[in-house]
Amino acid sequence: MAELRVNKAKQKLANGEVAVAFASWGYGGADALERLVDLEPDAIWLEAEHGGVDFSNIGELTRAIDLIGASPIVRIHQNEPGVIYRTMDLGAQGIVVPHVNTREEAEVVVHAGKFAPIGLRGSFTSRQGIGVPNYQSLANDQTMLIVLIEDIVGVNNLDEILKVDNIDVFFVAPGDLAQTMGLIGQPHHPDVQAVVDESLRKIVAAGRTAGALVSNENAAHHLEQGVKFFLGASPPWIESGLIEMNRRAEA
Amino acid sequence: MRTLRKNDAKARLAAGQHVIALEGLNDADTIERLGIMNPHAVWLEGEHNLVSPPNIADMTRAADLANTTSIVRVNRVEEGLIYQALDLGAQGVAVPHVDTREDAETVVRAGKFSPLGKRGMYGSRQGLGDPDFFKKANDETMLIAFIEDVIALDNLDEILKVDHIDVFLVGPGDMSQSMGHLGEPFHPEVTRALEDAVRKIVAAGRTAGTVGNHENVARYMELGARFFLTSPLPWIGEGYADLRQQVGATR
Repeated sequence: MAELRVNKAKQKLANGEVAVAFASWGYGGADALERLVDLEPDAIWLEAEHGGVDFSNIGELTRAIDLIGASPIVRIHQNEPGVIYRTMDLGAQGIVVPHVNTREEAEVVVHAGKFAPIGLRGSFTSRQGIGVPNYQSLANDQTMLIVLIEDIVGVNNLDEILKVDNIDVFFVAPGDLAQTMGLIGQPHHPDVQAVVDESLRKIVAAGRTAGALVSNENAAHHLEQGVKFFLGASPPWIESGLIEMNRRAEA
Repeated sequence: MRTLRKNDAKARLAAGQHVIALEGLNDADTIERLGIMNPHAVWLEGEHNLVSPPNIADMTRAADLANTTSIVRVNRVEEGLIYQALDLGAQGVAVPHVDTREDAETVVRAGKFSPLGKRGMYGSRQGLGDPDFFKKANDETMLIAFIEDVIALDNLDEILKVDHIDVFLVGPGDMSQSMGHLGEPFHPEVTRALEDAVRKIVAAGRTAGTVGNHENVARYMELGARFFLTSPLPWIGEGYADLRQQVGATR
């Protein structure tokens, strides 16, 4: 008999705290991730929309993350019910769905990510549910659904999308947004940033949780805007550590 | 036609410059992504971690594409392991527990073609397309011997007589164990022994290295060491902790 593992990031958000996820691009592999134990990360974001994460390694990667007490979150590559619940069945505690542009698309995410009565997630015991009595009755409380608002059409439909319950985080991503605004490669363009700011404001005003990819430099700004779910990536930290190491060697 | 890839880390040492080899990146995508930060070398861990013949080619290809020198630490002083790692694409091999002159001679015999040694005859991945590979290979192959046991300290004068070893790397972890200070790699007695060994290596006109970090690199540079096996994990920890602080997150 086992107890269903608590979703640390979801629990923090439910307590009104912020959650900081660690992006695995730039420091990947199950073994490397398990070595992050001393960081006590809230969540690890595994990249399956653009990275090498797929059904063959989600089990291995999420096991390592379970062992360090963080929430394993997988960004999948398409809004497809089979992909959503299979990813959860393999051990993800959270799913990030890209390009959610309409209310109907947001409803698909909930339909696939939650068991009845909320949705109709395929009936199977996830790796997270091994040994847990009544797993399917408990699972919805520990699964996290995150949708990406990253197209101008998604921004235009945001009021409707925000009406869909049981989505934990509405994550605004500037990269694709810039592309759909005719500003490819310019996520920091003022027009793009204005849309990002307005979207975050709307999400917070609707009483929902906003998320953003942040740097150590702009995180505080997003906090002021009401963002609660933060995604940070390690390459800049490694790069500045390496620069400092070289500086000290050459001093 | 292409020509044998230069070993940039080896060239830096030959010019008296320091080399930082980043460890913990036992994943090809991670290596290729971090390679643009220009670490002098990436360290692939096959003594203690998952690096092994089925994945050495993929990881070293990623290092080649990122223009960083690939170094594989093999599991033990064994000729077949040494030249197999080189054949699969490693530009350098590190060998643990080189305790005697004979051990050091084994490393050279396995790592160099004749007339210096008798590395098994095979075209390495690094040699593809270069008709003169066998003539040039010794010049671009780096051999690192770990001095990490008390017995190796006792034999150090003899070990240092063995030519064609590029770096004698003093390892604090195992040294602390063999000195009766298990788990205390930075115990003062261990540090003293390592520093004495570095002085002896440098006095013999050879290149010394150790496990380096922000705190000790200047000290070891002053002693004459030039090769630093370095983990980015502390930098990742600092970056994540700072991000957490920026957004007022708790553990």
